[in-house]
Amino acid sequence: MVPDFLTIAEAAKLIQQRELSPVELVDSRLARIEKLDGKLHSFIRVLADTARAEARAAESEIAAGKYRGPLHGVPIGLKDIYETGGVATTGHSKVMQDHVPKADAFSVKKLREAGAVVMGKLATHEFALGGPSFDLPWPPARNPWDTTRFTGGSSSGTGASVAAGLVLGGTGSDTGGSIRGPSAFCGLAGIKPTYGIVSRMGILPLAFSLDHAGPMAWTAEDCAIMLQAMAAHDPADPGSADRPIPDYRAALKGDVKGLRIGLVRHFHERDNEVNAATRNAIDAAAKKLAELGCSVRDVTLSPLPEWSACGMTIMLCEAYSIHEANLRRRFTDFGENFRDRMVLGGLVSGADYVQALRRRRELVAEFDRTMQSVDVLMTASAPSEAPPIDQVPKFALFERPSLTIAFNVTGSPAMSVCCGYTEAGLPLSFQIVGKRFDDATVLRLAHAYEQATPWRGRRPNLQ
Amino acid sequence: MTRQELDQALARLGLDVPVKERDEVVAVLPLLHQMLDRLRPPGGRDVAAEPAHVVKFPEG
Repeated sequence: MVPDFLTIAEAAKLIQQRELSPVELVDSRLARIEKLDGKLHSFIRVLADTARAEARAAESEIAAGKYRGPLHGVPIGLKDIYETGGVATTGHSKVMQDHVPKADAFSVKKLREAGAVVMGKLATHEFALGGPSFDLPWPPARNPWDTTRFTGGSSSGTGASVAAGLVLGGTGSDTGGSIRGPSAFCGLAGIKPTYGIVSRMGILPLAFSLDHAGPMAWTAEDCAIMLQAMAAHDPADPGSADRPIPDYRAALKGDVKGLRIGLVRHFHERDNEVNAATRNAIDAAAKKLAELGCSVRDVTLSPLPEWSACGMTIMLCEAYSIHEANLRRRFTDFGENFRDRMVLGGLVSGADYVQALRRRRELVAEFDRTMQSVDVLMTASAPSEAPPIDQVPKFALFERPSLTIAFNVTGSPAMSVCCGYTEAGLPLSFQIVGKRFDDATVLRLAHAYEQATPWRGRRPNLQ
Repeated sequence: MTRQELDQALARLGLDVPVKERDEVVAVLPLLHQMLDRLRPPGGRDVAAEPAHVVKFPEG
């Protein structure tokens, strides 16, 4: 019998040793989806037949000695903004519910080449922005730790399905925190890689200059495995970086002793004050990292509202430009959250946008100066544990500055790491941020922290 | 921005926003304007300051 929960690394080891069949693993996940997803709503579309066929093909290849690597035969899910050839890709929106792409997104192609089995298309906030919404063709995903709670967004279905063990990993996208937010609330590891590492070709855009694609999984090691498959230069994405991709999984084995960590305490203690449980968990995580041999000291950046204003202005303008025609023609076909947030984008002027670009340049320079004296930054990834799903205001993004969008502005690798649980059993988290193209150090530190703490041993009780 | 000014702006944009939602948008506009004000430093920037075109970041 296949365990309810397996990491990608655990499953890969069993598959490679021929102790676990990809067919058996995929069947067990399909049964779990059937049993649990009626209350989690993490899937928009389950691809049972093709998943079984892909699992059979993987099994045959492995039996023939053609093992491709740690994703071979491993079931994953795709946020429904990743295009899939011949399978609808909707953006969780009525506006695109009949959109059937001709080809897979570049990163989906890479995941398939690595042997991953695609189990289906996962819920998202509408076009990676509007949610949680109850007026779309599909309901919002629910948090497996407590189904009355918000998953975070916008990669909501990925957060829920991985936490619930319906898939072993999934894809997310992150324009202002959409990988790190649901990873935080659902207790996952989720990395927004450096801008340019993962191609956005074939991924429905939200904001061209802030969009990042990346993996979400249970552990940093699993994220490293997925990122290895997804990362590659793609000339079709003008933001794609043409440079060698390091061995992320091998880099996990390096020492963290001596790493210099800058704790951006004012982000989460003053600028967007987190609750006591989160603050205590971050303090304890900083102490643990110091015990592992890292040096931890406070650093100061411009106040969080400065970063948020820059990122939000760019995001609103670029997103509005993408959806402008449909907003004019079929405004009420969009969900209320998405369309009303977009109205604000229409009210931002061209001069505002250019001022945001100028501010971005200043902030990126400031970030780079700070990173000359540290290896990584550390702060919160969310202000609290997951709130009730029906208590997320439509304009929450304007009420408190985002803890995550700063690192979309800079294009830096940024990862959410689980660092404990509330008394009620909801996950808490912190964020590790690295230098551009030093994703390996971020993953290595997250992995060392996970190995030194008990948090990865706890899973949601879904019986 | 008053409600009347919002109505005019939405007409220019060609957006058919339901009445109830217009009221909510008006209510949040002070927060939007506060955010936009942050983009302009007191005293302004050097007029020659180059706009950032950061679609591709410098490497390394």
